[in-house]
Amino acid sequence: MFELIKKTNINFVGMRYFAFAFSGILMVLGIIAFVFIFMGKANMGIDFAGGTMIQGSFEKSMQIGQVRDALRKNGYGDAEITELQRGVPYFFMIRLRSTSETGSKVADQVIGILKKEFPDNNFRKDSVDEVGPAVGKILQKQARFAVLISLLGILVYIWIRFDFRFGVAATAATFHDILSILGILFILHKEITLLIVTALLTIAGYSLTDTVVVYDRIRENLKVFRKKGDFPGTINNSINEVLSRTIITGGTVFLAVLAIYFFAGEVVHDFALALLIGVLEGTYSSWFVAAPIVLEWEKWSPKRFK
Amino acid sequence: MKRSQLWLTLITVFLIVASVWYLYPSLSLWSLSDTEKALLKEKDPSKLLSLEQKGIKLGLDLRGGMHVVLQVDKTKLKPEESKDAVERALEIIRNRVDQFGVAEPLIQKQGEDRIIVELPGLQDVERAQNLIGQTAQLEFRLFETPENTKTVLAKIDEILTPKKTEVKPSKGKDTSQEKKIAKDLFSKEAIDTTAQEEEAGITGKPFTSLLEPSGSDFYLVSLEDKPKIDQYLKNPKIWEQIPEDDTLAWATGAEPFKGVDYQKLYLIKKKSELSGKYLTDAREDFDQYRRPEVRFTLTKEGGRRFAQITGANIDKPLGIVLDGRVESNPIIRAKIRENGVIEMGSGATIDNARDLAVVLRAGALPAPVKIIENRVVGPSLGQDSINKGMKAGIIGIGLVILFMAIYYRLSGIIADFALILNLVYLLAALAGLHATLTLPGIAGIILTMGMSVDSNVLIFERIREELRTGKTIRASIDAGYKRALLTVIDSHVTTLITAAVLFQFGTGPIKGFAVTLSLGVIISLFTAVVVTKLIFNIRKNYQTLSI
Repeated sequence: MFELIKKTNINFVGMRYFAFAFSGILMVLGIIAFVFIFMGKANMGIDFAGGTMIQGSFEKSMQIGQVRDALRKNGYGDAEITELQRGVPYFFMIRLRSTSETGSKVADQVIGILKKEFPDNNFRKDSVDEVGPAVGKILQKQARFAVLISLLGILVYIWIRFDFRFGVAATAATFHDILSILGILFILHKEITLLIVTALLTIAGYSLTDTVVVYDRIRENLKVFRKKGDFPGTINNSINEVLSRTIITGGTVFLAVLAIYFFAGEVVHDFALALLIGVLEGTYSSWFVAAPIVLEWEKWSPKRFK
Repeated sequence: MKRSQLWLTLITVFLIVASVWYLYPSLSLWSLSDTEKALLKEKDPSKLLSLEQKGIKLGLDLRGGMHVVLQVDKTKLKPEESKDAVERALEIIRNRVDQFGVAEPLIQKQGEDRIIVELPGLQDVERAQNLIGQTAQLEFRLFETPENTKTVLAKIDEILTPKKTEVKPSKGKDTSQEKKIAKDLFSKEAIDTTAQEEEAGITGKPFTSLLEPSGSDFYLVSLEDKPKIDQYLKNPKIWEQIPEDDTLAWATGAEPFKGVDYQKLYLIKKKSELSGKYLTDAREDFDQYRRPEVRFTLTKEGGRRFAQITGANIDKPLGIVLDGRVESNPIIRAKIRENGVIEMGSGATIDNARDLAVVLRAGALPAPVKIIENRVVGPSLGQDSINKGMKAGIIGIGLVILFMAIYYRLSGIIADFALILNLVYLLAALAGLHATLTLPGIAGIILTMGMSVDSNVLIFERIREELRTGKTIRASIDAGYKRALLTVIDSHVTTLITAAVLFQFGTGPIKGFAVTLSLGVIISLFTAVVVTKLIFNIRKNYQTLSI
């Protein structure tokens, strides 16, 4: 038998206050990010904020500064320009936060400027994304609604399958995971796009895998608890007993997402990053958030599991 | 082997066979190079179409194309007029896109006043915007007489039938033209007609043999034969046979006749007798025998002109033409002034009447639309995404497979087999359900492959645990599966809940992700639990277990 983790006896329960502090910081960050998003001041992608994004390549060598200067000269000084690694060289992404409802003119104008400024180095557009601000508002509303519905669905399922306390604690852990990802992405100044919201929801569903594994074991071990009466010990033993499988289940998904992160290209790069953070958070929160909340609740109002 | 196991084995094998069946069109399509595809498009368009329809559909982000969201601008319309403004706009856009000849377009209403239009493969933003943004052209036109139509068709047959003495042009010289893709419907580009001429030699009536005469005013063309007719119509020689003031025009849509879908083809006058702007209203209604009909009203000026036209053409059909396509061809029964009725004929439903009324109103009162979202993906960017997605998939799935084989050895290899089976089933399901594969969808596939072995990890860890308590290997395997099952199901249900929400709220690419994620998770319950158990059950007694 090949084992990464031998039989352990880590005092997870004893470390819970450190974990609460750590999680607290992450969640405060997440809440700040959330408030910024709500106020529209976060780094929102054009999906939510509206705007124009043009991707394309030049035929010959081109510096990013040249593109920037050309656009600034023609009144598009606020354009964000990034050089991307695609199948072709000199591939650029140009982003503009337009406020006009019909953004189509902006893309045409920018492409026109590039063609005019570099007449002997043709710019070939490869993709154009234009989102009016009204669409952004609708998508924002839908995204908020989707997150809410998902959390509600999870709460109800765990409640039915386990018990109200487990349900609340699992949902809290899920909420913690989502806020943590948001907080970390906020620090990294990543753009909030539809794909990021997709990653958040995916993690909301996935992070429960490890929580369920731990809860199942706690429930199995409650028999022992009823005899011996050591609730913290029961929880600690449960986490330790399933430690290797919570790490490995998270690990296989982590490996798969790592490949997406490194090889699947820019489009899903941040999406994969959010998933990677989420997978780590999901495993962490099953040990340090989901289980300890049940413990604290039992201490505060005992008898529940007697 | 127990009976239940026999059944499960049969189901597994059956699903593999079914998967191969569903994946075959996709595989044969992918094995074609671009030039081979272009060649097939010329030679046998219906075969390519059927391959594309049965294969895994690629989303706009992978195949390139346009995604446009339109908003119907109701601000300038009176409340009464804005009632069905979206339906009117939808009808016009549908008609135009259909004319444009884009394969598999998607046109649907979204929310209260928005319309989504997806045009795969289309790159020309300007043309598409013109297509969508232009004001609708509704006209009333007259048809060519049946006698003249017959003569014209006979001439077309004649011109297409090769003369026996004619030397066939060598094929090689024309292939460069074959690759050209016609830019517009009916565009008069020269094409290689060798194949068509060969076919013609058999029947002697290459053109009319594809037409089914019906009534006197139009011909029926089965949808299967329509690409061939369209191909013929690109030949300028055919247009030389058609009188100066006539044109061939398709009906708006297809309709079933004797179990086959047909589209009508008309020889119609080019001249517009009356334009749609003289219409004031059109409503669906029932006549005294409860048969559906459409009642319409014209302006005073319109009524005066219409009376002239209808008075002079009693018992002849009148063409209601929207943007160059014939919507309807009712027979003029009497002189009509300001108020007219169109009888829908036997077999028509009130919905048919409603559709026609919408078209008439749309022609009379176009609903202005504006583009509020516009996404264009170039084909090279799409191809780049496919390549990168494939690379990430091979590496990601490879890593998972490698890890499982090293960590759980032979048992891990069994799990890996289940993983590959999951992948095959998943791809086949995508093809079978006509689901759309997007780049996030590919990421979803990779992700579910990582998740699907989770079930095996839970089971194997449980088996190890049972082994440690000193149970026999057989008992440990059985207990491992039995006790881990609930955990496995629980851990997947929540993923399915969020995937369902994503499917509901997501836009195209994200829907693709939700589809692969949920399918992959559901299939993994079968492959990772049932199939691996079947493999473990091949042996009754275990002396050692590689786990």
